[in-house]
Amino acid sequence: MSDPKIEGYEFKPGFKGMAQDTGSDQTMFKGVHWGKAMMWIFLLSDTFIFSCFLISYMKGRGSTLIDWPNPSEVFALHVGGVDVPLLLIAIMTFVLITSSGTMALAVKYGYEKNRKMCGWLILATAIGGLTFVGMQAFEWSKLIHEGVRPWENPFGAKQFGSFFFMITGFHGTHVSIGVIFLFIYAYKTFKGHYDEGKRGWFTTMKGNYVEIEILGLYWHFVDLVWVFIFAFFYLW
Amino acid sequence: MSDEYENKTGYQAQSSETIGGGGSGTVSDVDHVRPAEIPEQDLYHGHSFITKWIFCQDAKVIGVQYFLLATFTGIIGLILSWLMRLQLGFPEAAGFMTAEHYYQFVTMHGMIMVVYFLTALFLGGFGNYLIPLMVGARDMVFPYLNMVSFWSFFVAVGVLLASFFVPGGPTGAGWTLYPPQAILEGTPGSGMGILLMCISLVLFVAGFTMGGLNYLITVLQARTRGMTLMRMPLTVWGIFTATILAMLAFPALLVGGLMMTLDNVLGTSFFMPTILKAGEVLEYGGGSPILFQHLFWFFGHPEVYIVALPAFGIISDLISVHSRKNIFGYRMMVWAIVGIGGLSFFVWAHHMYVSGMNPWFGFFFATTTLIIAVPTAMKVYNWVLTLWRGNIRLNVVMLWCLGFIVTFVNGGLTGLFLGNVTVDVPLSDTYFVIAHFHMVMGIAPLMVIMGAVYHWFPLVAGRFLDETLGKWHFWLTFLGAYSIYFPMHYLGFIGVPRRYFEMYDSPYVASAVGMNEFISIAAFIVGAAQLILIFNIIKTLKIGKPAGHNPWQANSLEWVTPSVPPEHGNWGEKLPVVHRWPYDFSVPGAKEDFITQTTPPSEVIETEVEKT
Amino acid sequence: MHPGIIFFLVILGSLLFHIFTPWYWTDIASNWGGMDSTITLTFWVTGIVFIAVCLFMVYCIFKFSYKKDRKAEYKPDDKKLEKILTLVTTLGVIALLAPGLMIWNQYVSVPKNALEVDVMAWQWGWQYRLPGEDGKLGTTQVININDNNPFGINLDDPYGKDDVLIQSDVINLENNQPVKILLRSVDVLHNWYVPQFRAKMDAVPGIVTYYWFEPNKIGKYEVLCAEYCGVGHYAMRGGVEVQSKENYNNWISEQETFNDLIAKQKNIEFENKKIVKNNNFLLNKETYKEE
Repeated sequence: MSDPKIEGYEFKPGFKGMAQDTGSDQTMFKGVHWGKAMMWIFLLSDTFIFSCFLISYMKGRGSTLIDWPNPSEVFALHVGGVDVPLLLIAIMTFVLITSSGTMALAVKYGYEKNRKMCGWLILATAIGGLTFVGMQAFEWSKLIHEGVRPWENPFGAKQFGSFFFMITGFHGTHVSIGVIFLFIYAYKTFKGHYDEGKRGWFTTMKGNYVEIEILGLYWHFVDLVWVFIFAFFYLW
Repeated sequence: MSDEYENKTGYQAQSSETIGGGGSGTVSDVDHVRPAEIPEQDLYHGHSFITKWIFCQDAKVIGVQYFLLATFTGIIGLILSWLMRLQLGFPEAAGFMTAEHYYQFVTMHGMIMVVYFLTALFLGGFGNYLIPLMVGARDMVFPYLNMVSFWSFFVAVGVLLASFFVPGGPTGAGWTLYPPQAILEGTPGSGMGILLMCISLVLFVAGFTMGGLNYLITVLQARTRGMTLMRMPLTVWGIFTATILAMLAFPALLVGGLMMTLDNVLGTSFFMPTILKAGEVLEYGGGSPILFQHLFWFFGHPEVYIVALPAFGIISDLISVHSRKNIFGYRMMVWAIVGIGGLSFFVWAHHMYVSGMNPWFGFFFATTTLIIAVPTAMKVYNWVLTLWRGNIRLNVVMLWCLGFIVTFVNGGLTGLFLGNVTVDVPLSDTYFVIAHFHMVMGIAPLMVIMGAVYHWFPLVAGRFLDETLGKWHFWLTFLGAYSIYFPMHYLGFIGVPRRYFEMYDSPYVASAVGMNEFISIAAFIVGAAQLILIFNIIKTLKIGKPAGHNPWQANSLEWVTPSVPPEHGNWGEKLPVVHRWPYDFSVPGAKEDFITQTTPPSEVIETEVEKT
Repeated sequence: MHPGIIFFLVILGSLLFHIFTPWYWTDIASNWGGMDSTITLTFWVTGIVFIAVCLFMVYCIFKFSYKKDRKAEYKPDDKKLEKILTLVTTLGVIALLAPGLMIWNQYVSVPKNALEVDVMAWQWGWQYRLPGEDGKLGTTQVININDNNPFGINLDDPYGKDDVLIQSDVINLENNQPVKILLRSVDVLHNWYVPQFRAKMDAVPGIVTYYWFEPNKIGKYEVLCAEYCGVGHYAMRGGVEVQSKENYNNWISEQETFNDLIAKQKNIEFENKKIVKNNNFLLNKETYKEE
């Protein structure tokens, strides 16, 4: 991505350039749309929330006196007569990462004003997200059926169920909110709201393809958090 | 819907305009400021009563809404403090009050004052009104989100106050809400009360995240031409840094509150170890109460700086304007604010020295806590050095500034006692702590709030508050509050613990009784003195002296709006262009003793100004 | 009246209050005089700073009050002055931190000859346990606690049998004998605090916390709970009696051990069985009669 063109401003490379931008008037992040900057800062805050969850989880797991259940066993699927450890999670991860890919492509086509491709790709992302949530719901129901509860479980330390449901629940809620927005944005794309700059229903501000990039940032964040949850909860 | 967007006032994009009109003369070169990077902001203008005054998107209206709601909540907090002082000073007169009630008052007073009054007032009230004006923007960058943030705060307050009316009453766990006691019988409000508290806090955090995004992006990305970060008034720096802290510290509160709610409602054991109650071992087990404390104080310590940093910023501007002198060491003041903000994330466990955490942490946190004293001290020196060789107007605003210096230095220095881990051991959980945090978090920021009200009232309402009433208000509040909290430190020295409903049957009774009575009476007087301000405001709005344009002869942008009070969009047709920092007071060679930020160099060519 | 005079009186009043206050710390009765010394040092450093800054402020508002034809000095900063002030402040901070950390180091390093005292906290009272003749405290568990085993001692732990049990709010300590207070809570947070000993630490359910001190003054002292623990927090009092070696030994020889408690209960059980037997006999007699 090249530097944006700004009348009367000369960009410098490297740290010197960053320092010059910081010391200049009007904006610190040159050419960055307000909505994008907002999403970055919101995601920073959200990162702190998930970090607090994961650090608390590590503390709880590190100090447990009762053995922690073995994730490979608990999260295994019995397929074709064979116990495949972590199969469901592997598929879920694949689906989510792919949906990040379709999202990135959607952003690209959006800026190229290719309405149809952009719309279909957003829809694909939404369906990917929906699939992820569906699989997460399936996993929840399977574990609940096996006796795992937030307050106790038959496999080991009480806190296993508590942390599992809380962290995946919080993450799943984030994914679901993203899916809702994705469906809305797919609709708006197909209807041409971003081409004609139609004013939004809530904020009454003009529509713009940058909104898709902003939602894309959120979606990649949700994907990245999943990678961390996957690593800390399931692989450790 | 569309006619609300027509540029009825004819805002022009200023991308190719320069002050000199694009001419080629030498004068316009001196005055040259880079053209605008982005087109004018698209503002939504409400036309109905509801869209102009209720669901309004104008940051100034939202600021006043925050101010009023925060003040209303603060008055409830004040009344709760009277009830507490009644019990402590005159227990026979407080016969209606049980220990349960007392602890509920203690908790609600604390939570209301810290979060719903001070944080909401500084960030939501002052932040919304002053930031766009001071950086030269027409409004906040996300006005709709800003509006939603206020109503989120409104619902949060509603839920909090609703907890007074649920079975069991509001939570009585102390504002720190420590488990396991917060959710167990034996602590008042351990059922519905604590649940509503947690819900209210979640709503508060959501609202302040929305507001916080507005304040940050407006400062970073919506400044006017010529407004660099180092030309912003310290008020903006204080609120800006505090908002960054809020965005990073509130998550820990959210997580702690959520986990405690799950422990309460679903019976999880995040914070709940094996517990024996009334002869029965409860279903909980394996949890850690200290984990909650770490999460809470990771939020809690930055929280006090979220209150303090805007106060630091505002007081710098008030002292500067009313001494007709630039703030001493502006760059150092900015770095101190940023430094204090950053360091505030590394000191939290000084609230936990006797919590039973790993003792080796004590060394680390004592060191970081005492390091943070250095930039804070630098700010204090710079405030008094601003007075040195100034031309000081001893009006009501300046009196509040002086009161702030005395109370903040006192309160900040007692922090050095508590921060030094060894000294904290005998003093922790005693009245010394209560005296310290009331002095530094309660009285000092209150001095700033009052000073700010008297200072900016002429801008918001177009009239001066009455000086004589103001002086009575100041002296009663300052002297009264100081005589409440200064002696209280000594109750801590004799070892009187905090959160004690009464001291009966104890050797402390005899010595503390008289002091408790005195403090209670002083508290009632100070509380009543605030009525003077309310009377003053009502009187001024009816028959006050009109202030006119820039009545204090200040430099910052909020004083150079085309109309007073500023209207929606702040600047009329043309956005301001900034040529200097806001502290060009008493510049040698200048005609007046102030030069506004928008004054171009060509108009003050014979002066020796600082290159900013 | 010029405001400066009132501010000056406030500063003077604060100083006088500090010098003449009847409310000051209790007479120290333990080895932690170092804490008191650090506090005194802190008072000197912070006191000088407070008075200096506030007097400087008062001087400024007298000397530099507003005159229309005067202008303030225009001096944006003074880098040299700022450097000096930063240095002096840092030195002041180090002067406070150094002794503080040295004494904290002592606080977290328990002497080898310290007697372990188990302080058990519950809503809303205290009870105590001493190691007994084998010098070691037995292990405990909350789930073991019942009327027959009020301290929850593990029955299969040999060290626990001779533990001295003090089922009272008041504990006796030997003068000039360091003690390591082991704090246990069975429900919520508490804190065992005697102002005269200066030391304190929270009792946290789920873990055992500790601190140590050496009492060095014979007398009776009140124990206050110093961590909010519910509606009974203010009423959760205890006592400590520091005695000479001789009196202490007399006292401890009179205390009950866990073995004694077990034996007492066996006796009661035996007596109860006898009564039950007799009752049954009477009942049987009744049935006999009916038949």
